[in-house]
Amino acid sequence: MNTVLVANRGEIAVRIIRTCRKLGLKTVAVFSENDEHGMPARLADVSVCIGPRQAEKSYLNIDSILAAAKAFKADMVHPGVGFLSENDAFAEACAEAGLRFIGPDPETMRLLGDKQTARKTMIENGFPVVPGSEGTVGSLKDALAIAREIGFPVMIKAAKGGGGKGIRVVGDAAALEKEFALVRREAELAFGDGSVYLEAYLPEARHIEVQILADMHGNAIHLGTRECSLQRKNQKLLEEAPAANVDPAILDAIQQTAVDIARCVGYKNAGTIEFLLAPDGRFFFMEMNARIQVEHPVTESIYGLDLVKAQIQVAMGHHMAVPQEQIVAHGHAIECRINAEDPAENFRPSPGVIKSMTLPGGSGVRIDAGYAAGDEISPFYDSMVLKLICTGDDRDEAIRLCSGALSELSIEGISHNAAFARAMLADPDFQSGRVHTRWIEQVFIPRYLRGQQ
Amino acid sequence: MNLFNEKVTVTSEEADILGEKPEMLRCGGCKREMVADIVHAADSICPYCGALFRQPAYRRIETIVDSGSFIEIERDAESRDPLSFPGYKTKIESERSKSNLQEGVVVGKATIKGLRTAIAVMDSYFMMGSMGTVVGEKIVLITEFATLNRLPLIIFCASGGARMQEGVLSLLQMSRTTIALARHSEQRLLHINVLTHPTTGGVTASFAMQGDITLAEPGALIGFAGPRVIQQTVGDKLPEGFQTAEYLYERGLIDRIVERRDMRDTLAALLALHAGSAADDVRPKTSFKEWYDDVFKRNS
Repeated sequence: MNTVLVANRGEIAVRIIRTCRKLGLKTVAVFSENDEHGMPARLADVSVCIGPRQAEKSYLNIDSILAAAKAFKADMVHPGVGFLSENDAFAEACAEAGLRFIGPDPETMRLLGDKQTARKTMIENGFPVVPGSEGTVGSLKDALAIAREIGFPVMIKAAKGGGGKGIRVVGDAAALEKEFALVRREAELAFGDGSVYLEAYLPEARHIEVQILADMHGNAIHLGTRECSLQRKNQKLLEEAPAANVDPAILDAIQQTAVDIARCVGYKNAGTIEFLLAPDGRFFFMEMNARIQVEHPVTESIYGLDLVKAQIQVAMGHHMAVPQEQIVAHGHAIECRINAEDPAENFRPSPGVIKSMTLPGGSGVRIDAGYAAGDEISPFYDSMVLKLICTGDDRDEAIRLCSGALSELSIEGISHNAAFARAMLADPDFQSGRVHTRWIEQVFIPRYLRGQQ
Repeated sequence: MNLFNEKVTVTSEEADILGEKPEMLRCGGCKREMVADIVHAADSICPYCGALFRQPAYRRIETIVDSGSFIEIERDAESRDPLSFPGYKTKIESERSKSNLQEGVVVGKATIKGLRTAIAVMDSYFMMGSMGTVVGEKIVLITEFATLNRLPLIIFCASGGARMQEGVLSLLQMSRTTIALARHSEQRLLHINVLTHPTTGGVTASFAMQGDITLAEPGALIGFAGPRVIQQTVGDKLPEGFQTAEYLYERGLIDRIVERRDMRDTLAALLALHAGSAADDVRPKTSFKEWYDDVFKRNS
């Protein structure tokens, strides 16, 4: 094992290349015509163009990526996040081409990738899921019956949806009647599959997730929780580890459930299990992400480890040797995603060239950037410029450190959300841990916009 | 914290990637150098400027026909070097190992969106797709197969012309293919030619101009003698875009110029339009295998 092909772009590609360099592994970066001069291409040992800027012809083009792996004799492939990272066909094609795919087995990916199958598996094995329909709902009549049983408000969700798309909350039977066909049609158009299912909508619930790591020899551990409730349109903006303001007994139960789930599905490599935590302390399985997550650095910071390195080690067949009891976290970490978007203009993307960039630093401050000054943030891909991860001995320290670091951060040439993030950190609701998945949209944004006037 | 009891070890100091350089191609449009395999994996279209690279035969078949439907015939046919032409045998061998092909054309049957067709695809990476006895014979065979089984025939042309190393035997293939295709045509069967870059010489002078419908890829050079030869002969400046697909389209020699990404849809539409008249609802007279054995008996 010598060479890792990084099948991604931007920040996560840079992140993976850096760990490979640390381990003495060579890297092959693949890029679309748009990213020819991007940071991953500059940092990798070899970089090669795999197609035009449209993702489906480049970053999603399995044939091109495998041809690049073959041409440069890569023996491992890291899919990063997004793009092909949860594509079981890609994992399978890698295996067929004799490449080690850094991630779980294709079978596990298939099981977890289909939300209904995953949900069914959880129910069959006695894990708690959000009350909802058993499988997809074919008719409005069934939908109404199920909704009455689980109680309004309910969510209509596209079976093949993701990333916050294909979800609609309805408050009563009349709204359900109105929206049901609409969501189905949208799902058909967006995902090529019009199946939908119903789920109870839990107001003021929190998004708590557990980092899982499992090797190929049956060892599985958790690396604590992350709080990811600060979301806008289901896109996370700020994450922290561990989850704050939760009863330790409940956290323990969530973590143990997560490990049990990972064992139950035979999970291998790093993965994340997302839970919804209701205000009354009940928690439910939402989904398992069969890949590394964007917010993984907060876990790394408090556990003092490198999850991408661990992923590579699992893929190499190494044995995990440290028992769960000996894995101890220290302190508290917060991650802010700095995106090229304008919060004052309804978060409109703000692509453009970064004219200059001044980054904060110092003890406890980590920057994972996908761009440098002079680089262009393209309108064709996601708008994340960098991640700021701040680690303190406790939560208050981490908040102050993060706030200070944000005030030092300056990016010229594009609009970004650093000031917005700083305002979130200063909000009393956030500081006391009284947030939930709709908090940004329902409470904070109106408050923020009022403050701007 | 290290959770593992093994250390990541790299097996060799200098990883392979920096040693051997993969085969590269230069784009005719933007002049950039690119890795051949990656370019071909992406339909042989330049990701930077959209210019077309010449597409290898098997790759083209993959992008045109229904997945798994292609059955090749006469893959192993090889030239016997009839004139004992100096260096020809070694040349053929090196072309074979370089291109993963046995000869300059791949022929067989397949379906395109469920519509059955015979197909021949020439490959300009094998001795510039030149037509010798084997290329001619394979075109004749697939045409006869199509005639016998009442199938339409699609030929992707790409050729530098007749193969010099086989002399007059190469030129003979012009009449053989022409006659075979005339018989196919007499049976009111559809023949579609797709002219790709470059289609020249003896191929242009025979079957490449014989199709019922002639399509071409954008920018393809199509002609008999090359532009330089013509310029030297006539001693005059040639018009701009001379012998390109676009130039010929304007003058009515080509029916339509089709982008590579639209080729499968276009061919499927043409096959569907012409199905039923003569070809589609007639059951094949012989199975592929029977026919194949029969050809072998006849030839041996």
